[in-house]
Formats: sequence, structure tokens, C-alpha cells
Amino acid sequence: MEITQKQRILDVVAGKKVDKLPFGARIDVWYNYHVAHDSLPAKYKGWSQTDIIAHQGAAAQKRFFSICKEEYHDMEVVKRKEPPYEITEFITPLGTCSISLLWSLAEGPWLAYEHEKLFKSQKDYPIVKYILDHTVPVFNEAYAKEREDMGERGVVMTGTGLWGPSQRVMREIMGYELFYNEYMDRPEKIDELMDSMMNLERKKLDIAIKSDIEIINLCANWSDDIHTPVFKQYFTPWFREANEKIHAAGKFSMAHTDGEMRRLIPLFTETLIDVAEAVTPAPQTKCAMTEFRRMGDKVTFWGGIPSILFEPYVSNKEFDDHVKGLFKEMKPGYRFIVGMGDNLTVGADIDRVGRVVELIEKYGKLPIE
Amino acid sequence: MRDCSTLVKKVIEGDWKEIANLTQEEIESGTKPDEIILQLQAGMEAVGEKYSSGEYFLPDMMKSARCMNIAFEVLKPLVENSSVGSLGKVVIGTVKADMHDIGKNIVSGFLKGVGFEVIDLGSDVSEDRFAEEVIRHQPDIVGLSSLLTTTMHEIGVVIKKLEEKGLRSRVKVIAGGAPVTEKFTRSMGADAYAADGGQAVKVCKQLVQRS
Repeated sequence: MEITQKQRILDVVAGKKVDKLPFGARIDVWYNYHVAHDSLPAKYKGWSQTDIIAHQGAAAQKRFFSICKEEYHDMEVVKRKEPPYEITEFITPLGTCSISLLWSLAEGPWLAYEHEKLFKSQKDYPIVKYILDHTVPVFNEAYAKEREDMGERGVVMTGTGLWGPSQRVMREIMGYELFYNEYMDRPEKIDELMDSMMNLERKKLDIAIKSDIEIINLCANWSDDIHTPVFKQYFTPWFREANEKIHAAGKFSMAHTDGEMRRLIPLFTETLIDVAEAVTPAPQTKCAMTEFRRMGDKVTFWGGIPSILFEPYVSNKEFDDHVKGLFKEMKPGYRFIVGMGDNLTVGADIDRVGRVVELIEKYGKLPIE
Repeated sequence: MRDCSTLVKKVIEGDWKEIANLTQEEIESGTKPDEIILQLQAGMEAVGEKYSSGEYFLPDMMKSARCMNIAFEVLKPLVENSSVGSLGKVVIGTVKADMHDIGKNIVSGFLKGVGFEVIDLGSDVSEDRFAEEVIRHQPDIVGLSSLLTTTMHEIGVVIKKLEEKGLRSRVKVIAGGAPVTEKFTRSMGADAYAADGGQAVKVCKQLVQRS
């Protein structure tokens, strides 16, 4: 009996040899947009995204925000809508901070963007630290349902949250530019905030490890915006600590590495992360796939097809040539899961997902010579 | 022209702590403010090249931009009627429904640093707003940034709006962002593409020379 889509992916991550390249496809941006605009192709009207991917013959890669939910203690949390923004106020004994989010599934993205960050100036340090110190993570029951719905048709991609702890401070709470300014001017305050965030993340990791998840997402949207000295100072130590626990529990870890990666590639191995997911080579980034392979032969690469190649302005021949070239670059192919960097675009032709499956049948049997 | 190499070196290194004093010393030693500005701008251009080549990161560029801002604060009272002309005017923004602004801010920082006048419209900017700001500011260049595959087609929407309003021929359009390639940019009707802030400086200089 042929192994399931999910098992083929898990086997590759575990370093086992499989019969052909797995293909984990991600289409939520395309799907959300077309459901909202009632513009799904006629053959897929009323279908779920996992059903569509299965029909195309690929394994589903479904993003889910986190295996944990956050509960806030000893503070008042007030949410209100000011369309198109959703504003959340955290009222603490030390003062109030608020965050404004823009979240429109109708335009495709599955997550919210911070219109206004939680941290706005140095007066917010004690308040944000209080919020983090009084946040308690609990298991997110919705994950269990997602996992059940997925079954053996693919993988629910999630972990302790979208971002790693230091990245959450940099990107979600402060924004990169304010972070770097604060890092220059008040490094000791940044340290304090990082410590609080790490403590919260440790609790989340314990929940993830105790769950039935096999691959734990530790971080997302890596790119050269992350200064390598900052990466070494804050990211690497956390990833090593987390991965020692994850590996001891017989599980694997993953990072969503879909940005410009040239300067972070040499640092990947030190993190002990198992899967570099959403690997996005040229022409969408400056890196060739062969450069990513410098992460080492113990890393599983998941990705390789930039989103923009699914756009109609890219011809079928150009698309096929990229995919066939990709297989050759990754030969013998045992540590490779074909995927997107990082999603199917709104304007894409869904049948190119099926085209990748056809190309795997022709050229992706392992080992690739 | 007097050599301000110490000051310029500090800008390139992003060492902002002594910039105010060094700028004051240059003024007191008799260097004309216009000359100081030109050399600082050359320093910022060197920072752009280091950024493009991968030697410098975002915080390196931010340190250098901070140096420039400090130096300009010292020079400001002396250059109200400066003969140092602007290289050109750029209206820049991240397209509608896209909240990302780092890339756009990097480009803005470099363009300001080398002598362009930059009107930064922020992020999530509609095509109508771009058109209004083009009418208001009459820029030489419109810069469009998109970081998402879901928003990159907005580049074409803005360009179409400029055409509808009869504004397209008045400006050059440059675009960039993570999912955006030169081929895509051209397919949307833009004049030019830049992969990063350093390249944007070179391309914008070429665009204003051509126009």
C-alpha cells in the first residue's frame, strides 16, 4: 500500500528514504480571496482548501496560527472595532498599551497586520513587560479539530506561534526600525523584554511538546532584515534550547524561511532547526537553491517554487523549466519536500499545483540522478 | 573643496555620537555648509553601495541615516538659502492593503540621504491618494512598494490611475518589494525596478537624468 501524503512528508523530515518527492502545497491566500469574492473556479465551488489540494494530487500544507492560546491575568483587555481596524487595549496597573490590527481575509492573507504596534515609545517598557509576565498560555483546542480534519492528507503547520520570541519583540511588538533604534539606545531594556518573552515562550513550548504535533514551527518570515549579530545574540540561543527539548521528545522543528536569506544561511545549522520551510529561491529572491543547500545535509528543505511563478505572466514552459531545474538542483532529493515560497497567489492558475504533481511523477522519483 | 573625510567616515561607520561636534568643527574650520552636505551625501551613497552588496544591514543604514539627521540639524540654520539643489522630488508609499513599510523606509532613507526631496505617504496608500499627492507635489518620481503577493498587483492599479488622471507622462514610476521582480514591474507598466535601497538611489538618479 502506498504511504499517505502526511507520512511521506514526515518520513523525509525524519531522514528516511521515500519513493518520490513529496509536494506540500499551500493555497490559503488564493483560497481566502476567491471564497470571499465568489470567484473559485467552477469545479471547486464549495470545496475546502484541503479538498482542492487533494484533488490536485498534492499534500496539503495548512497554516494554523498557534497550538496555544493566550490568557491575560491581572489586567483588563478591551477589544473594539474601528473598521477596517481591530483595536485591543491592555489596561494594566502600570498603564495602558494598545495594538491596532488590520485583518481582511477577503484580500487573501490569513493573519492580521499591525497597523499600530503595542510598543510605541520607551514609556511602554514596564507596561509591555507586565503584559508578557501576566500572560498564561493554554492549549488551543481548535488545533485538534484542524488536525482531525486534515487526517493523512497533509500537515497542519503550526507551533508555539507565528514568530519566535525575539522576533515577536522585534517585529510584532516594536517593529524592526523602532527595535533597532531601541537596541542602539536602551539595550538593557531590550534585554529585559526579551527575558520576559522567552519565559512566556518556554511555557508555550512545553504545551507544544506535550501535544501530538510532530513538527513544531519555531519562527517565521526570516529575512536579511534580521541583523546577524542580533540573530546570534537572541535567536540562536533560544533555538538551541528549544530544539534540545524538541529532539529529546522525538519531535522536529521548522522555520518559515521565505525571505532574502543569504546572510542567515550560514547561521541556520547552529540553530539545530530541522526543516527550512517556504524556501524561496530566485527569481523572487537573490539566492539560488544551491545556496540554501549550504545549510547542511541534515536540514530538510521544503519549498523551492517561488509564488510569483504561479502568476499568469509566467509561461507554462518557464514554470516547467523552473520545477525541472529545481529537482536537479536538489538531487538526490532525499532531504527535499517540494513546496511554495510561500503561497499560491491570488491571480494564480490552481492547475499549476497539479502540474507540479505531474512533473514529480515524471522527474521526481527518488533518487534523482 | 575642503576634505571632510573624518566626518564622512563617521557617517559611513554609523558612529552618530560625535557627529554633532564634528559637524560644528567643520563649520568653524571654514568649510562651507554646502560642501559639507555634498560630502555627507557622497558618504550616504557609499552606505547604499555597502547595503546593496550585502555588507551592511538595516541597522547599519539606520545608524548612518541618524548621523545625517544630526549633521543636518547642525547645518540647518546655515543652509536656509543653500545653493545645494535637490536631486529631484520623490513621492513614495506602500500600496493599498499592505502594511509593510521597512523596504519603503529604507529606500526613503537612502534617497533623502543622497539629496532627493522625499514625500513619504506611509503604508496602505490607495491609488487615489497617490494621484492626489502627484497633483499636489508634482514629483519627478513615484515610488511604489509592495511586500505581498496579494498586493503587488496594486502597482498596476496605481499606474492605471495615474494614466486615467492624465498624470502618467509627468512622472517616472519605480517599484520594488519582496515578491516584485523586474519582469513583473515592467508588466505592470512601471519605468524601473530596484531590488534594494542602494539600487534605488542609482535608478532614481538615472530616471531624473533621463526626464
